This record gives sequence, structure tokens and C-alpha cells, in this order.
Amino acid sequence: MTLDLVAYGAFFLTMALTYAIICLGLNVQWGMTGLFNVGIAAFVAVGAYTSAILTTPETPDRFGGFDLPIAIGWLGAAVVSGALSWGVGALTIRLRADYLAIATFGVAVTVQLCMLNLQPLTGGAFGIGFIPRPFAQLQADALLFSLANCGLLMLVIAGLYLGLQHVAKSPWGRVLRAIREDETAAQALGKRPIRFRLQAFTLGGAIMGLAGAAQAHFIGFIAPDNYMPILTFQVWAMLIVGGSGNNRGAIAGAILVWGLWALTAAAVSAFVPPEDQAQAAALQIVAIGVGLCLMLLLRPRGLFGEVSPLARLRNTLPLSAKE
Amino acid sequence: MTNTVLATSLLVAGYEPDLPIVRGVDFAVTKGEIVILLGPNGAGKSTFVKAIAGMVPVHSGTIHLAGRDITRVAPHRKLAEGLAFVPQTENVFASMSILENLQIAVALLPKAQRAAKIDALFARFPDLAIKPTRLAGALSGGQRQMLAVARALALDPPVLILDEPSAGLSPKTVGEVFAMLKRINGDGVTIILVEQNVKAAMAIADRAVILAEGRIAHEGTPAELADDPLIGKIYLGTARHVSSEAAL
Amino acid sequence: MNPQFLMDGLIAGAIIGLGAIGVTLTYSILRFSNFAHGELLSWGAYLALGISGALGFLAAGLKQPIGPFSFGWSLPIAAVLAIILTGLLALAVDAALFSSFRRRGSAIIIMVMASFGASLALRSLLEFFFTSKPAYFTQALQIAMKLGGGLRATPDQLAMLVVALVSVIAVHLVMTRTDIGRAMRAVSENPSLAGIAGIDVRRVIRTVWFLGAALACIAGMMSGLIIQIRPYLGHDLLLPLFAAAILGGIGSVPGAMIAGLIIGLCEAFTVQIIGAEWRSAVSFAILIAVLLVRPRGLFGKAS
Repeated sequence: MTLDLVAYGAFFLTMALTYAIICLGLNVQWGMTGLFNVGIAAFVAVGAYTSAILTTPETPDRFGGFDLPIAIGWLGAAVVSGALSWGVGALTIRLRADYLAIATFGVAVTVQLCMLNLQPLTGGAFGIGFIPRPFAQLQADALLFSLANCGLLMLVIAGLYLGLQHVAKSPWGRVLRAIREDETAAQALGKRPIRFRLQAFTLGGAIMGLAGAAQAHFIGFIAPDNYMPILTFQVWAMLIVGGSGNNRGAIAGAILVWGLWALTAAAVSAFVPPEDQAQAAALQIVAIGVGLCLMLLLRPRGLFGEVSPLARLRNTLPLSAKE
Repeated sequence: MTNTVLATSLLVAGYEPDLPIVRGVDFAVTKGEIVILLGPNGAGKSTFVKAIAGMVPVHSGTIHLAGRDITRVAPHRKLAEGLAFVPQTENVFASMSILENLQIAVALLPKAQRAAKIDALFARFPDLAIKPTRLAGALSGGQRQMLAVARALALDPPVLILDEPSAGLSPKTVGEVFAMLKRINGDGVTIILVEQNVKAAMAIADRAVILAEGRIAHEGTPAELADDPLIGKIYLGTARHVSSEAAL
Repeated sequence: MNPQFLMDGLIAGAIIGLGAIGVTLTYSILRFSNFAHGELLSWGAYLALGISGALGFLAAGLKQPIGPFSFGWSLPIAAVLAIILTGLLALAVDAALFSSFRRRGSAIIIMVMASFGASLALRSLLEFFFTSKPAYFTQALQIAMKLGGGLRATPDQLAMLVVALVSVIAVHLVMTRTDIGRAMRAVSENPSLAGIAGIDVRRVIRTVWFLGAALACIAGMMSGLIIQIRPYLGHDLLLPLFAAAILGGIGSVPGAMIAGLIIGLCEAFTVQIIGAEWRSAVSFAILIAVLLVRPRGLFGKAS
């Protein structure tokens, strides 16, 4: 019994940690740089599919199945998602701030469409199965398997955390912060804000792709349904709760929000009669939306937040509009 | 005191709550005066007039217009209270026609009076009446300034405040703008202006007030200030080796 | 090729155009892209559905189809009420959410994010109340009339095109001929000068919300009448709305409508040539093309 509980705990934590990776990626884009990405689900999905195609065994009616090692798959996921981010960013970062948001929203819609319709590549609505799982040889022992996976993701997170902390303190991170705080001043110092922002957006996208791959390999199969807009919302809720700009907050927020989400979902399936479950799930989403707004209104720096990423972006409405 | 139209008392204002730019200004303008605000860059002249117009938050102190406290009046209501302001830049709606700019200006009047008011403004500024459908963005600097002043005068305000009306204009146009202001003053409008173009402004001003570091440093008639050698040298550029046209 | 796609494209385009006017107005005056705008379309449609259902229940005669149309008087009456209620909904969301960000001078992107949260909550609330099953204003079947040139349209479709045309002309006249229209353009160009010029910016903001929501409601009802009503109705139209607002040029009412029609026609054309499953990608392709070639759009001002 206790062992089951530990195994479940490890499973839960592993899932939460995959979200924490996405959250760290978003933190590079939003927390460090102030870039608003509404298409998180798309970048995660692209990573997941890339790694799946690279690592699954050859499948007759689908492109690939290249049967490559998992590590190559993860790397490929980061590269492809990073490249997609670079493309979207290169197109929109020089324009108004909202255009990036709108473009990433468009990417989410389009990637969703591609997942469904490019059957020869993505397997269509059924997705891709038989994605090799790390430590598959341990699968017979559920506890050991869960712990090994959980440990692997903890290592990934630790690596990313240390790397990102280092990046934040590096000259590159300092320039990024300078641009975030005062774009004109940074420009005057000869730094090209657009280039730095684009690099940050690409890095963040690559991390999201890696997260997608990690998640796909942990679950073992992927389908378009996993990458609905709700995923984007969840990750935003995690970062906002954790406090943007703060890597530790991003991880804590991911675990906390995922925990709440899993708990309420479990409560719904346990206590709500099956015919009402769809409605209860809808209410759960209403709660996330309202919660996101309330956090923005009441605790814009998050529960653990230290830094406000947005001191620089002052609203341009006149005093008279500020009621 | 009854002749004071506009007065500020211990006015403290600035964009950020903890960073006042105007630091306690006591200032009073008598009806019918032309007062010019001078001072070095960063002295707070512009911020001071913007605070009066409601474009910069007032932290403490009061602003009275004709005896009424207008400190907390919303910017869009100040025009109706009788205080008109012409900002330094972007002071007309460039994407709209001359006529539309004036239509916005008279929108606070009862409908029946609007057409007559616009006609009156065109009569007062005949250059604007030549082609009322022209986009304000296509006007020359002087015409733009004229349109901005016409817009500000639409409700016959007792007080008109201008922030550097001569900025960016050719010397000839500067003369025309100041002549126009003198004329408007002759019609009974009290005028306060921030100016860098000291010589031209001194020529029409009744009184000059010099701000430094957010406070009033000196005030007096143009003649008094010009006679003071130190002030002349530091603020007014009247010393021989400084061009009188130069910005301070 | 079957020219019928022109008719489908025009109708889809009219819906997109009406919605995009709201997006473009909010963007140019409140200065943020409102991701919750799509939800106003859905709410408009559901409000009209609820009210017309209630009216039909109270007075069965109101359900009798008018002339050649598929709907009875209950729908036009409900439409008027739904427009008002959708406007009030937008005002309520602004009062509860966006106005406090404006008051604080929050970053624009915070408002974008809040609109994102609001859209999630509003959409799921519809799902909660009405479930995700599609609903219909009427079950009556309509026979398409031949219009010549191989085109066919149902009386409902023609009526909706007329409604869209009238709405756009009305909004255009309001924007160019009235005090509040001039005030809106003034705030859009220069909010602080607008304040000095005696314009009550807060009133303008309220008007923009109401007007945008009213048009969204009309677009939502059109979509509901011609296709079906679903909680995702507005969300699925959001990308075309943004694409149309940007293609038309932010702030331009005629631009938004024309761009909406262009996108609707391109979608219909794509459905004809490539297949219906790629319809939603059309807006993205157009969006990317505009951002690459002419980011200010067809009628936008250079920034």
C-alpha cells in the first residue's frame, strides 16, 4: 500500500516536473524577457512529435520511426521547437508586442491542424504510440520504474535550473534584463534588443520542446488532444502563481498548480456522477481562468515572485482614462 | 487678489510618486497678463504646466482657477472649467481634417451654437478656412500651431496655457505665432507660456517667471530681469557672447 | 469550379468582418489585443438563443417563421435584447478586470494576459451552462434560391448579408459623422490630447466596449443561424478575427470589414481547392503574409 502510494507520488511528481520544464521555458520568454507566448501547447507538441518520430521503431504507414536513441530524440525536439520559435519570433518581435501573442496563437491553431491532418507524419487523430520509455527494462517493477523516471526528470530540471540561473547572471542575461528594464538605454549602449529577445524566445521554445519530448516519452503515446489550448493556460497559471522572473517560483508553481489540478480532477471523477462530469470539468477550467485574472489583479508578482518583469512596459493611456 | 485668475499653492507634481519634478511652486497670474515661464532644461517648466492641465499627477498642493479649486478635476473637464492647454508636440489630431479638429473642440457646446462657433474660429484664423478638409497632419508647422490654438480657444477660455509654441518653427513663423498670441491676449485671454525662445517671448510678456530645480527662482517684468546682469547672463542669454536666439 | 464558394465565402467573411471591427476598435483605443473578443460572439449567440427560446415558450406564435425565413419574430426581438446584454457583459468584464489594470497603468501585455484568462473563464462557463453539444436557433429547413450565375443562397443567408452590410455602414457613419465617432478616432490617435480637448476618455472606452460587443453579438448570431451554436464558436473564429483586424489595418473599420471578406473568400476557396480540414490554416497564412509584407495592413497608418 505504501509502496503504491510512493509509486503514485513519483508518477505524479514526474508529470508535474514535465510541466515545470515547460514553465522554465516560458520563464525565459516571459519572466526574463517579457515576451508573451499564447501558443505554448504548439511548441510542446512539436517537441513531442519530433522526438516520437525520431525514436519510435519504423512504422509502415507513417514517416519514420527512425528508432534513434531517446537522447537524440530529446535533442531533436529542442532543436525543432527552437527553430519554430526562432521563425515566429523573427517575424513578429520587431513589431508591436501583441503581434507576437497573436502569431503564437496562430501557431497553436495551425500546429493543432497539422497534427490532425498530416497523417503520414503525425498519425492524425490517433497520434503516435509505442514511444520508447526511459528505463523500459525496469517496467516490471512499477515503483522502481516510476522512481527512475522521476529521478531522470529531477536531473533534467536541476541541470536546466543551474543552467538558467547561470544564464541569468551571465553578461547575456544582464543585457536581457537591461533591455527589459529600459530598452532605450540598452539600445544606447549598442545592444540590439531585437536580437537578444529573439535569442531568448528561441531558447524558451527549445526548452518547451524538450519538455514535450520528456512528457511524450514518459506517457508513451501522444495525440492531438494532449495539446489543446488548455495546456497553454495551465502553464501560464503555473508561472503566474509561481511568480514570473523566478526559476524556483516557476518550478514550485508548476508542482502546486498541477497538484491542485490533479486533486480537483480526482475529486470530480470520485464525487460527481458521470453524466455531470463534463460540466464539472468546465467549471474547473472557469476556476483556472478566474484564478489567473485574480492573480494578475491581486498578486501580480506571484506567490513567490521577486522580480516584476514589466516595469518597463508602461501603459500609454492618459491619466483621464485611468479612472 | 480678486484679479487672480490662476494660482497654484505649494504645488508638487511629477510622473513618479517618489520623484517630484515640480517641488512646491506658488504661482499666481493676474487677469489679462501674458506670463512667460523660463528656466534651464529640466527645471520643471513643462511638467508644471502639464500638471496644471492635468497631464501629470499632482502629489500635493492646490490649483485654483478663478477662485475654484481645480486640482483634482479630470483633464477633460478642465477645458469646460475654462482652462485651455496647447501641448508642445502632437497638439492636433493629425489623422483628422481641420474641420474635424474644430468639431471636436466645439463638441462641448450645445448643438445649436456649434456651427456659428466654428465660423467664428475660421473668421479669427482665416488661414484655416482656406481648405477645411485638409488633414491636420499635412499642415505646416505654423498652421498646425494655429489650429492647435484655435482648438484651444473654441470654448472661449479665460486662461490659455501653451508649452513652447515656437518649438521647431522658422524665425518668421515664430514672429507670426507670437503676434497671434498678442492678439488673442488683446481679446482678454490670460496667457501663460513656456518658452525657450526668450527674446521673442520677452517682447510680448508682461511678466517672466524663472523656474530652477522645480522651484521659482526669480520673477519680474522682462525689463527688470534683463537689467539684472546675473540673471540675464544665466537665464536670458542677453550677455554679448551668447546668442539671444539660443535655447537655454 | 463551382462558384457557390463565393456565396459561402461572402457569408463567412461578413461574420469575420463584423467581429474584426470590434477587435480593431478595442485594439486601437484600449491598445491591447483582446483574446476574449471571440467569447463575446459565443455569448451573443447563446444569449439570443436563450431569449428567443424563452419568447417562443411564452408566445408560441413568435416561433412561426416570418415569410421565407427559417425563424420567427422571436429571433429578431431576442437579437435586440442579446445585443444589449452582450454590450453589458463587455462593460462588466471591463469594470471587473481591465479598468483596474488601466488605473494602475499596468503593462499592455498584462491586459492581453488577463483577456486570455477571461476568455477561458467565459468560454467554459458557456460549456457549463449549455454543454458542448451544438444548438440551433431553429430546426426549420430552408431551400436555397437560385440567384443566377450558378449561385444559390437561402433567404436566411441573404438576410444576414443585408444585416452585415447595414451594420458596417452604420458603424462607418457613426465613426465619421458623429461626436462620439470623432471622439473615438481622437482617442485612438492621441489619448492624452483627446483628454485636453475635452473628450471624456472613459466614456469613449465604454462606447468602444459596447459597440464592439454589439457587433460581436450580431456576428455570433449570424454564425449560429447559418451554421450552429457551440461554446467554441467564438474561439474558433478568433484567429480569423485577428488576421482580419491586422490585414485591414488596426483602427480601420472599413479595412476590418474588407479584410474579413477577403479572409472569408480565401477560406472558401481553400475549402474548394485543398479541403475543408485546412480552412483554419488560411487565416494563419494570411496573418504571416501580412506581417512579412505589410505589417501595418491594407488601410493602417504607418507607425
